[in-house]
Amino acid sequence: MAVPISQMWTVATYILKKRMSGEKKFPLVLMLEPLFKCNLACAGCGKVQYPPHILKKQLSPQECFAAVEECGVPMVSLPGGEPLLHPQIVEIVNGLVARKKYIYLCTNALLLKERLHEFTPSKYLTFSVHLDGQREHHDMSVCREGGYDLAVEGIKEAVARGFRVTTNATFFDGTDPNSVRSFFDEVMSMGVEGIVLSPGYSYEKAPDQQHFLGRAKTRRLFRAILSNRKKSWKFNMSPLFLEFLMGKRNYECTAWGSPAYNIFGWQKPCYLLQDGYTDTFQELLDTTDWDNYGTASGNPKCANCMVSCGYEPTAVTAGFGSLSGFFAMAKAAIFNTYEDKGALDLLNNHTTFAAQHDHFVKIDSISPAPQIGKLEETRA
Amino acid sequence: MSQPVQHVPLNVDELEVVDGRAYENLEGWVPELASEEDLRTAIEKAFDYRGDITLTFKNGERVEAYVFNRHTGKGLADSYAQYFASNSPDKRKVSYAEIARIEFTGKDRAAGKHWEAWLQKYAEKKAAGEKNIALHPEALD
Repeated sequence: MAVPISQMWTVATYILKKRMSGEKKFPLVLMLEPLFKCNLACAGCGKVQYPPHILKKQLSPQECFAAVEECGVPMVSLPGGEPLLHPQIVEIVNGLVARKKYIYLCTNALLLKERLHEFTPSKYLTFSVHLDGQREHHDMSVCREGGYDLAVEGIKEAVARGFRVTTNATFFDGTDPNSVRSFFDEVMSMGVEGIVLSPGYSYEKAPDQQHFLGRAKTRRLFRAILSNRKKSWKFNMSPLFLEFLMGKRNYECTAWGSPAYNIFGWQKPCYLLQDGYTDTFQELLDTTDWDNYGTASGNPKCANCMVSCGYEPTAVTAGFGSLSGFFAMAKAAIFNTYEDKGALDLLNNHTTFAAQHDHFVKIDSISPAPQIGKLEETRA
Repeated sequence: MSQPVQHVPLNVDELEVVDGRAYENLEGWVPELASEEDLRTAIEKAFDYRGDITLTFKNGERVEAYVFNRHTGKGLADSYAQYFASNSPDKRKVSYAEIARIEFTGKDRAAGKHWEAWLQKYAEKKAAGEKNIALHPEALD
Protein backbone atom coordinates (compact mmCIF):
# COMPACT_ATOMS: atom_id res chain seq x y z
CA MET A 1 0.00 0.00 0.00
CA ALA A 2 1.41 3.37 -1.05
CA VAL A 3 -0.39 5.57 1.47
CA PRO A 4 2.09 7.05 4.01
CA ILE A 5 1.83 5.84 7.59
CA SER A 6 1.09 9.33 8.94
CA GLN A 7 -1.92 9.58 6.67
CA MET A 8 -3.12 6.08 7.59
CA TRP A 9 -2.72 6.95 11.27
CA THR A 10 -4.74 10.15 10.84
CA VAL A 11 -7.55 8.30 9.07
CA ALA A 12 -7.50 5.37 11.51
CA THR A 13 -7.70 7.57 14.60
CA TYR A 14 -10.43 9.68 12.97
CA ILE A 15 -12.54 6.56 12.32
CA LEU A 16 -11.93 5.18 15.81
CA LYS A 17 -12.96 8.48 17.41
CA LYS A 18 -16.13 8.57 15.34
CA ARG A 19 -16.92 4.97 16.21
CA MET A 20 -16.29 5.55 19.91
CA SER A 21 -18.51 8.63 19.90
CA GLY A 22 -21.31 6.55 18.40
CA GLU A 23 -21.59 8.48 15.13
CA LYS A 24 -23.20 6.30 12.48
CA LYS A 25 -22.75 8.54 9.47
CA PHE A 26 -19.50 10.43 9.07
CA PRO A 27 -17.51 11.52 6.00
CA LEU A 28 -13.95 10.49 5.17
CA VAL A 29 -13.13 12.56 2.09
CA LEU A 30 -14.70 15.82 1.00
CA MET A 31 -15.07 16.08 -2.76
CA LEU A 32 -14.55 19.82 -2.93
CA GLU A 33 -15.23 21.14 -6.42
CA PRO A 34 -13.99 24.74 -6.50
CA LEU A 35 -15.19 25.22 -10.08
CA PHE A 36 -16.60 23.31 -13.06
CA LYS A 37 -14.59 25.07 -15.76
CA CYS A 38 -12.09 22.84 -17.52
CA ASN A 39 -9.46 23.08 -20.24
CA LEU A 40 -10.52 19.72 -21.64
CA ALA A 41 -13.85 18.80 -23.23
CA CYS A 42 -14.05 15.08 -22.54
CA ALA A 43 -16.99 13.42 -24.26
CA GLY A 44 -19.76 12.71 -21.79
CA CYS A 45 -18.23 14.57 -18.86
CA GLY A 46 -21.13 15.83 -16.79
CA LYS A 47 -19.08 18.45 -15.01
CA VAL A 48 -18.35 20.70 -17.96
CA GLN A 49 -21.78 20.67 -19.62
CA TYR A 50 -23.10 23.75 -17.85
CA PRO A 51 -24.03 27.11 -19.37
CA PRO A 52 -21.14 29.61 -19.49
CA HIS A 53 -22.37 31.70 -16.55
CA ILE A 54 -22.22 28.59 -14.34
CA LEU A 55 -18.78 27.61 -15.63
CA LYS A 56 -17.51 31.09 -14.73
CA LYS A 57 -18.56 30.73 -11.10
CA GLN A 58 -16.17 29.42 -8.48
CA LEU A 59 -15.91 28.89 -4.76
CA SER A 60 -13.84 31.40 -2.83
CA PRO A 61 -11.05 30.13 -0.55
CA GLN A 62 -13.19 31.08 2.47
CA GLU A 63 -16.11 29.01 1.14
CA CYS A 64 -13.74 26.06 0.64
CA PHE A 65 -12.35 26.32 4.18
CA ALA A 66 -15.83 26.67 5.66
CA ALA A 67 -17.02 23.51 3.90
CA VAL A 68 -13.99 21.54 5.08
CA GLU A 69 -14.42 22.69 8.67
CA GLU A 70 -18.16 22.13 8.58
CA CYS A 71 -17.89 18.43 7.73
CA GLY A 72 -14.63 17.83 9.61
CA VAL A 73 -13.00 15.38 7.19
CA PRO A 74 -9.33 14.37 7.44
CA MET A 75 -8.95 14.22 3.63
CA VAL A 76 -10.02 16.58 0.85
CA SER A 77 -10.17 15.77 -2.84
CA LEU A 78 -10.10 18.79 -5.15
CA PRO A 79 -11.64 17.73 -8.44
CA GLY A 80 -13.54 19.96 -10.85
CA GLY A 81 -13.44 21.09 -13.58
CA GLU A 82 -9.75 21.70 -13.60
CA PRO A 83 -8.62 23.08 -10.22
CA LEU A 84 -5.48 24.64 -11.68
CA LEU A 85 -7.74 27.05 -13.62
CA HIS A 86 -8.97 28.49 -10.30
CA PRO A 87 -7.13 31.80 -9.81
CA GLN A 88 -6.89 31.23 -6.04
CA ILE A 89 -6.08 27.53 -6.05
CA VAL A 90 -2.71 28.11 -4.36
CA GLU A 91 -4.42 29.99 -1.51
CA ILE A 92 -6.97 27.18 -1.20
CA VAL A 93 -4.27 24.50 -1.08
CA ASN A 94 -2.12 26.42 1.39
CA GLY A 95 -5.12 27.02 3.63
CA LEU A 96 -6.00 23.33 3.66
CA VAL A 97 -2.40 22.32 4.33
CA ALA A 98 -2.33 24.78 7.25
CA ARG A 99 -5.41 22.94 8.56
CA LYS A 100 -3.48 19.65 8.26
CA LYS A 101 -5.88 18.15 5.76
CA TYR A 102 -4.58 15.52 3.35
CA ILE A 103 -5.35 16.98 -0.08
CA TYR A 104 -5.61 15.22 -3.41
CA LEU A 105 -5.55 17.91 -6.08
CA CYS A 106 -7.07 16.12 -9.08
CA THR A 107 -5.69 17.60 -12.26
CA ASN A 108 -5.43 16.76 -15.93
CA ALA A 109 -1.91 18.24 -15.55
CA LEU A 110 -2.04 20.27 -18.75
CA LEU A 111 -0.94 23.26 -16.64
CA LEU A 112 0.90 21.39 -13.91
CA LYS A 113 4.45 21.91 -15.11
CA GLU A 114 4.07 25.67 -15.53
CA ARG A 115 2.29 26.16 -12.17
CA LEU A 116 4.33 23.83 -9.96
CA HIS A 117 6.62 26.60 -8.74
CA GLU A 118 3.64 28.20 -6.99
CA PHE A 119 3.16 25.19 -4.69
CA THR A 120 5.25 23.90 -1.81
CA PRO A 121 5.87 20.18 -1.34
CA SER A 122 4.14 18.81 1.75
CA LYS A 123 3.10 15.45 3.08
CA TYR A 124 -0.43 16.90 3.05
CA LEU A 125 -0.45 17.70 -0.67
CA THR A 126 -0.71 15.12 -3.45
CA PHE A 127 -1.15 15.89 -7.13
CA SER A 128 -3.54 13.24 -8.39
CA VAL A 129 -3.00 13.31 -12.13
CA HIS A 130 -5.77 12.09 -14.38
CA LEU A 131 -4.30 9.45 -16.67
CA ASP A 132 -6.77 6.94 -18.08
CA GLY A 133 -4.27 4.59 -19.69
CA GLN A 134 -1.46 4.43 -22.17
CA ARG A 135 -0.90 7.39 -24.49
CA GLU A 136 -3.46 6.54 -27.16
CA HIS A 137 -6.07 5.41 -24.65
CA HIS A 138 -5.65 8.49 -22.52
CA ASP A 139 -5.69 10.89 -25.46
CA MET A 140 -8.87 9.26 -26.77
CA SER A 141 -10.39 9.31 -23.31
CA VAL A 142 -9.79 13.02 -22.77
CA CYS A 143 -10.48 13.85 -26.43
CA ARG A 144 -7.14 15.52 -26.93
CA GLU A 145 -4.10 14.26 -28.79
CA GLY A 146 -1.00 15.24 -26.86
CA GLY A 147 -2.80 15.24 -23.52
CA TYR A 148 -0.85 12.25 -22.24
CA ASP A 149 2.53 13.76 -23.05
CA LEU A 150 1.70 17.03 -21.27
CA ALA A 151 0.43 15.14 -18.22
CA VAL A 152 3.55 12.97 -18.09
CA GLU A 153 5.77 16.06 -18.29
CA GLY A 154 3.88 17.47 -15.34
CA ILE A 155 4.18 14.24 -13.38
CA LYS A 156 7.92 13.97 -13.92
CA GLU A 157 8.49 17.59 -12.95
CA ALA A 158 6.35 17.23 -9.82
CA VAL A 159 8.17 14.04 -8.78
CA ALA A 160 11.52 15.72 -9.41
CA ARG A 161 10.53 18.66 -7.19
CA GLY A 162 9.60 16.34 -4.32
CA PHE A 163 5.82 16.46 -4.50
CA ARG A 164 3.62 13.50 -3.72
CA VAL A 165 2.12 12.35 -7.02
CA THR A 166 -0.43 9.68 -7.85
CA THR A 167 -2.20 8.87 -11.08
CA ASN A 168 -5.94 8.59 -11.24
CA ALA A 169 -7.65 6.42 -13.87
CA THR A 170 -11.27 5.70 -14.66
CA PHE A 171 -12.07 2.65 -16.76
CA PHE A 172 -15.15 2.34 -18.95
CA ASP A 173 -16.66 -0.39 -21.08
CA GLY A 174 -14.14 -1.47 -23.73
CA THR A 175 -11.07 -1.06 -21.54
CA ASP A 176 -8.26 -3.42 -22.53
CA PRO A 177 -6.90 -4.99 -19.31
CA ASN A 178 -3.60 -5.89 -20.99
CA SER A 179 -3.03 -2.28 -21.89
CA VAL A 180 -3.95 -1.22 -18.36
CA ARG A 181 -1.31 -3.56 -16.93
CA SER A 182 1.30 -2.08 -19.28
CA PHE A 183 0.09 1.37 -18.21
CA PHE A 184 0.74 0.45 -14.55
CA ASP A 185 4.34 -0.38 -15.48
CA GLU A 186 4.69 2.96 -17.26
CA VAL A 187 3.38 5.12 -14.42
CA MET A 188 5.31 3.32 -11.71
CA SER A 189 8.49 3.91 -13.73
CA MET A 190 7.73 7.65 -13.56
CA GLY A 191 8.26 7.55 -9.81
CA VAL A 192 4.69 8.13 -8.69
CA GLU A 193 3.70 7.20 -5.16
CA GLY A 194 0.82 5.04 -6.30
CA ILE A 195 -2.07 4.46 -8.64
CA VAL A 196 -5.71 5.32 -8.04
CA LEU A 197 -8.36 3.64 -10.15
CA SER A 198 -12.09 3.30 -10.39
CA PRO A 199 -14.70 1.91 -12.75
CA GLY A 200 -16.63 4.58 -14.60
CA TYR A 201 -20.19 5.55 -13.98
CA SER A 202 -22.76 7.30 -16.12
CA TYR A 203 -23.24 10.85 -14.93
CA GLU A 204 -26.95 11.18 -14.62
CA LYS A 205 -26.85 14.81 -15.65
CA ALA A 206 -24.91 14.09 -18.80
CA PRO A 207 -27.55 11.80 -20.22
CA ASP A 208 -26.50 11.53 -23.84
CA GLN A 209 -24.66 8.28 -23.23
CA GLN A 210 -25.21 4.75 -24.48
CA HIS A 211 -24.05 2.16 -22.01
CA PHE A 212 -21.70 1.55 -19.12
CA LEU A 213 -19.98 -1.30 -17.36
CA GLY A 214 -22.32 -3.47 -15.32
CA ARG A 215 -21.11 -5.08 -12.12
CA ALA A 216 -20.42 -8.51 -13.62
CA LYS A 217 -18.27 -7.02 -16.37
CA THR A 218 -16.56 -4.65 -13.93
CA ARG A 219 -15.52 -7.53 -11.69
CA ARG A 220 -14.15 -9.54 -14.63
CA LEU A 221 -12.24 -6.49 -15.85
CA PHE A 222 -10.67 -5.78 -12.47
CA ARG A 223 -10.00 -9.45 -11.79
CA ALA A 224 -8.05 -9.50 -15.07
CA ILE A 225 -6.23 -6.25 -14.27
CA LEU A 226 -5.44 -6.74 -10.58
CA SER A 227 -4.77 -10.48 -10.31
CA ASN A 228 -1.25 -11.83 -10.87
CA ARG A 229 -0.12 -8.45 -9.63
CA LYS A 230 3.42 -7.18 -9.96
CA LYS A 231 5.26 -6.21 -6.79
CA SER A 232 6.29 -2.95 -8.42
CA TRP A 233 2.70 -1.74 -8.64
CA LYS A 234 1.58 0.44 -5.73
CA PHE A 235 -1.97 1.55 -5.19
CA ASN A 236 -2.92 4.63 -3.24
CA MET A 237 -6.16 3.01 -2.22
CA SER A 238 -7.62 0.64 0.31
CA PRO A 239 -6.55 -2.92 -0.56
CA LEU A 240 -9.99 -4.06 0.53
CA PHE A 241 -11.58 -1.78 -2.07
CA LEU A 242 -9.37 -3.40 -4.73
CA GLU A 243 -10.60 -6.82 -3.56
CA PHE A 244 -14.15 -5.48 -3.85
CA LEU A 245 -13.50 -4.49 -7.47
CA MET A 246 -12.07 -7.95 -8.16
CA GLY A 247 -15.23 -9.60 -6.87
CA LYS A 248 -13.64 -10.96 -3.70
CA ARG A 249 -15.74 -8.86 -1.33
CA ASN A 250 -19.23 -7.49 -1.15
CA TYR A 251 -19.76 -4.04 0.24
CA GLU A 252 -22.64 -1.65 0.41
CA CYS A 253 -22.28 1.96 -0.62
CA THR A 254 -21.38 4.57 1.98
CA ALA A 255 -22.84 7.48 0.04
CA TRP A 256 -22.13 9.99 2.83
CA GLY A 257 -18.48 8.86 3.01
CA SER A 258 -17.36 11.21 0.21
CA PRO A 259 -19.76 14.15 0.26
CA ALA A 260 -19.52 16.69 -2.54
CA TYR A 261 -19.59 20.46 -2.15
CA ASN A 262 -19.62 22.96 -5.00
CA ILE A 263 -21.15 26.29 -6.05
CA PHE A 264 -24.64 24.79 -5.73
CA GLY A 265 -24.14 23.58 -2.14
CA TRP A 266 -23.92 20.09 -0.59
CA GLN A 267 -24.86 17.56 -3.24
CA LYS A 268 -27.48 14.88 -2.53
CA PRO A 269 -26.77 12.03 -2.15
CA CYS A 270 -23.20 11.64 -3.44
CA TYR A 271 -20.52 12.86 -5.82
CA LEU A 272 -22.09 11.12 -8.82
CA LEU A 273 -25.82 11.52 -8.46
CA GLN A 274 -27.34 14.97 -8.35
CA ASP A 275 -30.69 14.58 -6.68
CA GLY A 276 -30.57 18.05 -5.18
CA TYR A 277 -28.58 20.31 -2.87
CA THR A 278 -28.61 21.48 0.72
CA ASP A 279 -27.12 24.56 2.32
CA THR A 280 -25.39 22.74 5.19
CA PHE A 281 -23.67 19.40 5.70
CA GLN A 282 -25.92 18.57 8.63
CA GLU A 283 -28.96 19.21 6.44
CA LEU A 284 -27.47 16.85 3.87
CA LEU A 285 -27.16 14.12 6.51
CA ASP A 286 -30.59 14.80 7.97
CA THR A 287 -32.73 15.26 4.86
CA THR A 288 -31.28 12.74 2.41
CA ASP A 289 -33.29 9.53 2.21
CA TRP A 290 -30.21 7.31 2.37
CA ASP A 291 -32.29 4.12 2.15
CA ASN A 292 -33.10 5.13 -1.43
CA TYR A 293 -29.49 4.68 -2.53
CA GLY A 294 -26.95 1.89 -2.93
CA THR A 295 -27.46 -1.45 -4.61
CA ALA A 296 -29.47 -2.88 -1.72
CA SER A 297 -32.09 -0.17 -2.24
CA GLY A 298 -32.93 -1.45 -5.71
CA ASN A 299 -32.51 2.07 -7.05
CA PRO A 300 -31.66 1.59 -10.75
CA LYS A 301 -29.43 4.68 -10.63
CA CYS A 302 -27.14 2.74 -8.28
CA ALA A 303 -27.34 -0.63 -10.05
CA ASN A 304 -24.04 -0.42 -11.92
CA CYS A 305 -22.08 1.65 -9.44
CA MET A 306 -18.88 0.29 -7.89
CA VAL A 307 -17.19 3.66 -7.81
CA SER A 308 -14.57 4.57 -5.24
CA CYS A 309 -16.43 7.60 -3.86
CA GLY A 310 -19.15 5.32 -2.49
CA TYR A 311 -17.41 2.02 -1.87
CA GLU A 312 -13.91 3.00 -0.80
CA PRO A 313 -15.21 4.69 2.37
CA THR A 314 -16.92 1.38 3.16
CA ALA A 315 -13.67 -0.50 2.62
CA VAL A 316 -11.60 1.98 4.64
CA THR A 317 -14.07 1.98 7.51
CA ALA A 318 -14.13 -1.83 7.44
CA GLY A 319 -10.33 -1.92 7.54
CA PHE A 320 -9.92 0.49 10.43
CA GLY A 321 -13.18 -0.16 12.20
CA SER A 322 -12.52 -3.60 13.72
CA LEU A 323 -9.69 -6.00 14.47
CA SER A 324 -10.90 -8.52 11.90
CA GLY A 325 -11.13 -5.75 9.32
CA PHE A 326 -7.64 -4.57 10.17
CA PHE A 327 -6.21 -8.08 9.78
CA ALA A 328 -8.04 -8.49 6.46
CA MET A 329 -6.56 -5.19 5.29
CA ALA A 330 -3.07 -6.13 6.47
CA LYS A 331 -3.34 -9.51 4.75
CA ALA A 332 -4.52 -7.86 1.52
CA ALA A 333 -1.62 -5.40 1.70
CA ILE A 334 1.04 -8.05 2.32
CA PHE A 335 -0.19 -11.00 0.25
CA ASN A 336 -1.08 -8.89 -2.75
CA THR A 337 -0.05 -10.99 -5.74
CA TYR A 338 -3.43 -12.71 -6.22
CA GLU A 339 -2.24 -15.49 -8.51
CA ASP A 340 -5.17 -16.52 -10.65
CA LYS A 341 -5.03 -18.72 -13.74
CA GLY A 342 -8.58 -17.76 -14.66
CA ALA A 343 -7.55 -14.11 -14.72
CA LEU A 344 -4.73 -14.96 -17.13
CA ASP A 345 -7.30 -16.59 -19.38
CA LEU A 346 -9.38 -13.43 -19.22
CA LEU A 347 -6.37 -11.42 -20.34
CA ASN A 348 -5.52 -13.72 -23.21
CA ASN A 349 -9.08 -13.96 -24.44
CA HIS A 350 -9.77 -10.26 -24.25
CA THR A 351 -10.86 -8.47 -27.38
CA THR A 352 -8.67 -5.43 -27.61
CA PHE A 353 -9.92 -1.89 -27.46
CA ALA A 354 -8.71 -1.27 -30.98
CA ALA A 355 -10.53 -4.33 -32.33
CA GLN A 356 -13.73 -3.37 -30.57
CA HIS A 357 -13.63 0.11 -32.05
CA ASP A 358 -12.18 -0.78 -35.44
CA HIS A 359 -15.38 0.29 -37.17
CA PHE A 360 -14.88 3.79 -35.83
CA VAL A 361 -11.18 4.38 -35.75
CA LYS A 362 -7.96 2.58 -36.43
CA ILE A 363 -5.40 3.25 -33.73
CA ASP A 364 -2.09 1.91 -34.93
CA SER A 365 0.12 2.25 -31.93
CA ILE A 366 -1.86 0.71 -29.10
CA SER A 367 0.30 -1.84 -27.38
CA PRO A 368 -0.56 -5.37 -28.43
CA ALA A 369 -1.90 -7.73 -25.81
CA PRO A 370 0.96 -9.53 -24.08
CA GLN A 371 1.05 -13.26 -24.65
CA ILE A 372 0.70 -15.92 -21.99
CA GLY A 373 4.45 -16.45 -21.65
CA LYS A 374 4.97 -12.82 -20.72
CA LEU A 375 2.14 -12.96 -18.26
CA GLU A 376 3.52 -16.07 -16.67
CA GLU A 377 6.63 -14.01 -15.91
CA THR A 378 4.51 -11.55 -13.99
CA ARG A 379 3.45 -14.29 -11.61
CA ALA A 380 7.01 -14.96 -10.49
CA MET B 1 -36.98 16.19 -0.76
CA SER B 2 -35.81 13.50 -3.14
CA GLN B 3 -38.20 12.32 -5.79
CA PRO B 4 -39.82 8.91 -5.27
CA VAL B 5 -37.63 6.24 -6.78
CA GLN B 6 -39.03 3.39 -8.84
CA HIS B 7 -37.20 0.38 -7.45
CA VAL B 8 -36.70 -2.50 -9.83
CA PRO B 9 -36.04 -6.07 -8.74
CA LEU B 10 -32.85 -7.26 -10.40
CA ASN B 11 -29.64 -9.01 -9.52
CA VAL B 12 -27.18 -6.18 -9.99
CA ASP B 13 -24.22 -8.51 -9.67
CA GLU B 14 -25.19 -10.21 -12.95
CA LEU B 15 -25.40 -7.03 -14.99
CA GLU B 16 -22.99 -6.98 -17.94
CA VAL B 17 -23.69 -3.49 -19.20
CA VAL B 18 -26.14 -0.85 -18.12
CA ASP B 19 -27.89 1.45 -20.52
CA GLY B 20 -27.26 5.15 -20.15
CA ARG B 21 -30.23 7.36 -19.50
CA ALA B 22 -32.43 7.91 -22.55
CA TYR B 23 -31.73 11.30 -24.05
CA GLU B 24 -34.64 13.68 -24.33
CA ASN B 25 -34.39 16.66 -26.66
CA LEU B 26 -35.92 19.51 -24.68
CA GLU B 27 -34.26 22.52 -26.31
CA GLY B 28 -36.98 24.94 -27.41
CA TRP B 29 -39.73 23.11 -25.48
CA VAL B 30 -42.44 25.19 -23.87
CA PRO B 31 -44.47 22.87 -21.67
CA GLU B 32 -48.17 23.45 -21.19
CA LEU B 33 -48.71 24.07 -17.49
CA ALA B 34 -52.39 23.18 -17.24
CA SER B 35 -52.16 21.31 -13.95
CA GLU B 36 -50.03 21.08 -10.83
CA GLU B 37 -48.64 17.81 -12.16
CA ASP B 38 -47.64 19.51 -15.43
CA LEU B 39 -45.72 22.13 -13.48
CA ARG B 40 -43.97 19.60 -11.26
CA THR B 41 -42.98 17.51 -14.28
CA ALA B 42 -41.68 20.55 -16.16
CA ILE B 43 -39.58 21.73 -13.21
CA GLU B 44 -38.19 18.23 -12.77
CA LYS B 45 -37.12 18.26 -16.43
CA ALA B 46 -35.70 21.77 -16.01
CA PHE B 47 -33.66 20.47 -13.06
CA ASP B 48 -32.24 17.72 -15.28
CA TYR B 49 -31.65 20.05 -18.24
CA ARG B 50 -28.05 21.05 -19.00
CA GLY B 51 -28.92 24.50 -20.22
CA ASP B 52 -30.68 27.69 -19.21
CA ILE B 53 -34.42 28.03 -19.14
CA THR B 54 -36.59 31.13 -19.03
CA LEU B 55 -38.95 31.40 -16.09
CA THR B 56 -41.89 33.78 -16.18
CA PHE B 57 -43.36 34.55 -12.77
CA LYS B 58 -46.95 35.42 -12.07
CA ASN B 59 -45.94 39.03 -11.38
CA GLY B 60 -44.70 39.25 -14.96
CA GLU B 61 -40.95 39.09 -14.24
CA ARG B 62 -38.92 36.98 -16.68
CA VAL B 63 -35.61 35.39 -15.69
CA GLU B 64 -33.12 33.42 -17.76
CA ALA B 65 -31.67 30.92 -15.31
CA TYR B 66 -30.00 27.61 -14.63
CA VAL B 67 -32.17 25.55 -12.27
CA PHE B 68 -29.85 23.54 -10.02
CA ASN B 69 -32.19 22.39 -7.27
CA ARG B 70 -35.79 21.83 -6.39
CA HIS B 71 -37.66 20.89 -3.28
CA THR B 72 -41.01 19.20 -3.69
CA GLY B 73 -43.37 19.78 -0.81
CA LYS B 74 -46.97 18.71 -0.41
CA GLY B 75 -48.38 21.67 -2.29
CA LEU B 76 -47.12 24.26 -4.75
CA ALA B 77 -46.68 26.86 -2.04
CA ASP B 78 -44.15 24.80 -0.09
CA SER B 79 -42.33 23.53 -3.18
CA TYR B 80 -39.55 25.64 -4.60
CA ALA B 81 -36.88 25.75 -7.27
CA GLN B 82 -33.40 27.21 -6.79
CA TYR B 83 -31.54 28.82 -9.65
CA PHE B 84 -28.70 31.03 -10.74
CA ALA B 85 -29.94 33.81 -13.03
CA SER B 86 -27.59 34.26 -15.98
CA ASN B 87 -26.98 37.90 -15.02
CA SER B 88 -26.52 37.49 -11.26
CA PRO B 89 -23.93 35.87 -8.99
CA ASP B 90 -26.44 34.97 -6.27
CA LYS B 91 -28.54 31.87 -5.69
CA ARG B 92 -32.26 32.59 -5.87
CA LYS B 93 -35.31 30.64 -4.80
CA VAL B 94 -38.85 30.71 -6.22
CA SER B 95 -41.99 28.97 -5.04
CA TYR B 96 -43.67 26.71 -7.57
CA ALA B 97 -46.83 28.72 -6.90
CA GLU B 98 -45.21 31.84 -8.39
CA ILE B 99 -44.21 30.23 -11.71
CA ALA B 100 -46.45 31.00 -14.69
CA ARG B 101 -44.39 29.77 -17.64
CA ILE B 102 -41.26 27.73 -18.35
CA GLU B 103 -39.38 27.85 -21.64
CA PHE B 104 -36.36 25.70 -22.45
CA THR B 105 -34.67 28.59 -24.26
CA GLY B 106 -31.01 27.90 -23.57
CA LYS B 107 -28.74 25.65 -25.59
CA ASP B 108 -28.68 22.03 -24.38
CA ARG B 109 -25.00 21.68 -23.46
CA ALA B 110 -25.18 17.88 -23.21
CA ALA B 111 -26.64 17.25 -26.65
CA GLY B 112 -24.46 15.16 -28.94
CA LYS B 113 -21.54 15.01 -26.55
CA HIS B 114 -21.27 11.28 -26.24
CA TRP B 115 -18.36 8.94 -26.65
CA GLU B 116 -19.43 7.43 -29.97
CA ALA B 117 -19.83 10.91 -31.50
CA TRP B 118 -16.24 11.73 -30.49
CA LEU B 119 -14.93 8.50 -32.02
CA GLN B 120 -16.76 9.29 -35.23
CA LYS B 121 -15.39 12.83 -35.31
CA TYR B 122 -11.90 11.57 -34.55
CA ALA B 123 -12.07 9.06 -37.40
CA GLU B 124 -13.17 11.76 -39.84
CA LYS B 125 -10.43 14.16 -38.80
CA LYS B 126 -7.81 11.43 -38.87
CA ALA B 127 -8.91 10.39 -42.36
CA ALA B 128 -8.62 14.03 -43.44
CA GLY B 129 -4.99 14.06 -42.27
CA GLU B 130 -5.48 16.44 -39.34
CA LYS B 131 -2.95 16.54 -36.52
CA ASN B 132 -3.44 17.36 -32.84
CA ILE B 133 -7.07 16.31 -32.98
CA ALA B 134 -9.05 17.45 -29.98
CA LEU B 135 -12.38 18.59 -28.69
CA HIS B 136 -12.08 22.06 -27.18
CA PRO B 137 -14.14 23.64 -24.41
CA GLU B 138 -16.71 26.09 -25.67
CA ALA B 139 -15.89 29.76 -25.25
CA LEU B 140 -17.42 31.24 -22.10
CA ASP B 141 -17.92 34.76 -23.47
